[in-house]
Amino acid sequence: MMKNIILGLAMAATSLAVCNSNNRSIEYLKMNKDLQLKSTVNNTSLMTSSVADAKIAVSIKEILNAYLQMKNAFTEDNSTGAATAGKKLEAAFKKFDKSALTAAQKKTYEDVEADAVEHAEHIGANGGKIEHQREHFELLSKDMYDLVKAFGGGQVLYKDFDPMFNNGKGAFWLSETKEIKNPYMGKAMLTSGSIKEEIK
Amino acid sequence: MSLRKKILIAIGIVFIVFIVIQFIQPVRNKSDLLLASDISNTITISDNVQAIIINACYDCHSNNTIYPWYSNIQPMGWLMAKHIKNGKEALNFSEFGSYSSRRQLSKLNGIANSIRDDIMPLRSYKLMHKNSQFSASQMELLINWDQQSKDSLSAK
Repeated sequence: MMKNIILGLAMAATSLAVCNSNNRSIEYLKMNKDLQLKSTVNNTSLMTSSVADAKIAVSIKEILNAYLQMKNAFTEDNSTGAATAGKKLEAAFKKFDKSALTAAQKKTYEDVEADAVEHAEHIGANGGKIEHQREHFELLSKDMYDLVKAFGGGQVLYKDFDPMFNNGKGAFWLSETKEIKNPYMGKAMLTSGSIKEEIK
Repeated sequence: MSLRKKILIAIGIVFIVFIVIQFIQPVRNKSDLLLASDISNTITISDNVQAIIINACYDCHSNNTIYPWYSNIQPMGWLMAKHIKNGKEALNFSEFGSYSSRRQLSKLNGIANSIRDDIMPLRSYKLMHKNSQFSASQMELLINWDQQSKDSLSAK
C-alpha cells in the first residue's frame, strides 16, 4: 500500500517536471517571438509599402481561413463547428494589424470590422441554434466579400448564390472551391446554388 | 450556540444586507432629448410603427427607459440596469443614425429576425410588460417596415 502511494507520488512529480520544462520552452519561444515583433515595430518607419502589403495579406488570410472554416461547418450542418470558427474569426479581426493600413484603407477596414465582428460574435455564442447563426452568416458573407474586394483574398475565391434563403430573396457566400456546397441549406440541398463571380 | 439562535442571526444578516444594498442605486437611463441620430430622424418610420417600437423595445434599446416601481428595489434595479446596458450595446434606437449604413442594415436584419424567431422581446420582459407582446398585425406592420427600410438602404 505504502509502496503504491510513494510510486504514485514519484510519477506525479516526474510528470509535473516534464510539464514545467515544456512550459519553459514555450515561454522561451514566446519571448523570442516578442523580441522579433518588437524589432519589426521599431522598423515601421522604414517599412516599405510591399512589407505593409505582406502584413495585410497575412491578416486577411487568417480572417479568410476562419470564415471558410465556418462556411464549411455550415455545409455540414455543424452548428458547434461554426461557433468555434466564429470565435476564431472574431479573434482574427481583432488581431488585425491596422498600423500597416493607409488612412483610406483603415476606414474601409473599420467599417467592415465593426459589423463583421458582431456577426462573428453572435455565431460564436449561438452554437446549437443553426438557423440563427445562418442569418448572421448571410450578412457576414457580405462583409467578407467587401473585405476581399478591397484588400484581395490572396487566393481564388468564388462568390456563390443560393436563390432560396431569406424567404426566397437569396443569399451569397464565398467559397474556395469551384464545386457548390451550400452553407445555407446544408445537407438538405448541398449542391443547390450557382457561381456568380470568380474573385482573383 | 443553539440552532435557533444561529437561524435568527442568519436572518438578521440577510435583512441587514438587504437594507444596505437599497442605498446602492444604479444610474437611471433617462433622457428627454431627441437626438439627431434618433431612428425617427434617420429613416422613414410611421407613427404606428414607432409606437410599437417605443412600447416594446425602448426600455432597453433607447436612451429613455420607463421604469416600473420594482426597479427601485435592489437587486431588481441592478438586474435591469444590466439588461439595459447590454440592450443598448446591441442596438440603440436613439443613436441609430450614428451607425454606418452597413451596420444599420445589419441591425434592421437583426430586428426582423429576432422578432420572427421570438428572441425579442425577452420572455421575462413580456412576462412583466403584458402589452409588449406583438399582435399578428403589429408583427406584420413591423416586419414590412423593416423590409422597406432595408430595401431603401441597400438601394443607396
